[in-house]
Amino acid sequence: MSNSVLSVISRFLEEYSTTTSTKLKVVDAYLLYILLTGALQFLYCLLVGTFPFNSFLSGFISCVGSFILAVCLRIQINPQNKGDFLSISPERAFADFLFANTVLHLVVMNFIG
Amino acid sequence: MAPAGAQALTPSHYLSLSDVSRLQNLLSQPFTDLQSAYYSVVGLSKLGGIVPDHQEVCQFLKSQLDPSSVDSLFFAAETSQAISGCEIPVSNETRDILLAAVSEDSSMTQIHRAVGALSSLGLPLASQEVVGALAARINKEDNVMAIILALQTASRLSQQAELGRILEEIEDLTARLDDLGGIYLQFEEGLEATALFVAAAYALSDHVDVEPPLKEKSWDSLAEAFSVASAAAALSNNRFHVPVIVSAQGPATVSHNQPTLQLLVTDVMSQPLTSASVLVESAFAVATKSAILSQTPFTLNDGVFELNFMSSQPASGYYQFTVAVTGDSRLVASHVELKVKVSTEVSVSNMDLSVVDKDQSIGTKTTRVDYPSKAKSPFTADSHQNFAMSFQLVDVNTGQELTPHQTFVRLHNQKTGQEVVFVAEPDSKNLYKFELDAAERKSEFDSMSGTYSLYLIVGDATLENPILWNVADVVLKFVEEEAPAAVQPKTLYVPKPEIQHLFREPEKKPPTVVSNTFTALVLSPFLLLLILWFKLGANISSFSFSPSTILFHVGHAAMLGLMYVYWTHLNMFQTLKYLAIIGGVTFLAGNRMLAQKAVKRRSHV
Repeated sequence: MSNSVLSVISRFLEEYSTTTSTKLKVVDAYLLYILLTGALQFLYCLLVGTFPFNSFLSGFISCVGSFILAVCLRIQINPQNKGDFLSISPERAFADFLFANTVLHLVVMNFIG
Repeated sequence: MAPAGAQALTPSHYLSLSDVSRLQNLLSQPFTDLQSAYYSVVGLSKLGGIVPDHQEVCQFLKSQLDPSSVDSLFFAAETSQAISGCEIPVSNETRDILLAAVSEDSSMTQIHRAVGALSSLGLPLASQEVVGALAARINKEDNVMAIILALQTASRLSQQAELGRILEEIEDLTARLDDLGGIYLQFEEGLEATALFVAAAYALSDHVDVEPPLKEKSWDSLAEAFSVASAAAALSNNRFHVPVIVSAQGPATVSHNQPTLQLLVTDVMSQPLTSASVLVESAFAVATKSAILSQTPFTLNDGVFELNFMSSQPASGYYQFTVAVTGDSRLVASHVELKVKVSTEVSVSNMDLSVVDKDQSIGTKTTRVDYPSKAKSPFTADSHQNFAMSFQLVDVNTGQELTPHQTFVRLHNQKTGQEVVFVAEPDSKNLYKFELDAAERKSEFDSMSGTYSLYLIVGDATLENPILWNVADVVLKFVEEEAPAAVQPKTLYVPKPEIQHLFREPEKKPPTVVSNTFTALVLSPFLLLLILWFKLGANISSFSFSPSTILFHVGHAAMLGLMYVYWTHLNMFQTLKYLAIIGGVTFLAGNRMLAQKAVKRRSHV
């Protein structure tokens, strides 16, 4: 059982590293970073307590929001999805990503206290 | 002065005798120049006061006169008219100056003063020309004061002149009066303007023999005193409207000792209108609304109108009188409402005191006490007994039972100074009863046993003899007497114990070590990111140093910096403002940059 899981994972990683373009790998690295940051914040909250709660919320939501926006960016710049996003060029996607992030971080900064 | 309702017009403010004398004092002060001389002398004469030292005033006028100034001539001429035997010398030049001032090009004030001087000095003037000049000036200077001056000027002209145009102005001006709270009508320019308007309107109307269209009038330094004086004189002496003031002499109270109701009926200058006849149209009791009088005349007795009200034998209480003043067709506001009080004397009868056993097994011992003596022996009541009191309050004059507003029973502890007050209530037959249940009421007495003096207090607005009567002494015995810590006068006004305020405790924070560790931990993925990016080969080799690129990156960095500053210093509004500016720049630069990138990408592919 575990054998097959391991083999699936290794197969997946191999295919990943070969088939994905560098651009996408860069975005994926960013996604991983955001994920880890959010997870660590949550861990702190579990271990130490929710004081100050507003700061925790703003930090956590920042991670979640950034993750979502980065995923959107990844989807939109993937050349394999070009058919779904005919009117949105990668540059446009990036510009949208930047704008949305600005709005998100404005709210996050307001709430961080 | 008059409420703005057409029905019950009642002047509520008028010049009482003290007001008139106060104004006279104000106007009698010594004057230093022609203008104040004018105000003082003419104002005083309008109030009916006497100007002292006519000769001295005349000398003063002649010495101060400047024959080349229209104003100076006006003041001197008017003042000399008010005092007898004073002639101001007039020369041809003076006359010419004055006549020249009457033209369309002079201001309204100039015209008014010139015409006034000409008529007071007995010089001829061409009335029609004056009317023409006035009409032209009214068109040019459409303010209230100018029109008032026009009215006053017109009243000096000959009656043959066509003054209809000017008369219309009175009606226009009345429309301009501001309604202050439905009670006062006044020009927004103030008291002086309103007073002058009243004086001018009546002067002109008397002159031309046309009733002025004024239904309500209104009014409440030296120039102001003068204006008020001339207005009051105008209202008292004109041919059309004379407002009537009806007031009671002393308090409006009638009783057996003082059975007549006396009324003063005067005009606004407190001069009695003795030719009028005064009638009570109706009078009814406020409480029961039953009519007492109807169409009863007052008799004139030495300047005061009297009516013997007690002869109608009214019960004590308040009565609403409607009084009508007739006799002169000019009288205005001649229906007045007055509140009259009829008071009487009370006596206490059938005062019975008794101590009743609660279970009614022992018969009551009733003691009768007569006012104003005191019961000979004290009464004793303990927790098994009630102390009872009953009495009647009777009107001395009519024999009827009364229910005054205040009937209290006061118990005063002679030793401790405590006092407790109860209310005695009348039953359906107007018999007052009071019962004291010693056991039930012990909390009010703080369970202090002892001898209490019992007082009966009776009072009312319509009673002439309120009663405070020490009826008896009562010894009260309470059960469970708490060892009284001496007397505790209610410590209401003593500083209370201080309240210690507990501020909100700040929440417990985790130790700094833990926080710091986790901060480092949370920042570590960033390091990981950089490493990963480096490994992937992400680089900035295709960085083109075009201005839009640089501007974009600078702008973007500025936005990130703004976020930090927002966290530390700014509020949302300021941030949004800066964000709009920086964001706009960044957007434009970024747009440019990305477009260039897109072009490059397409050309590569």
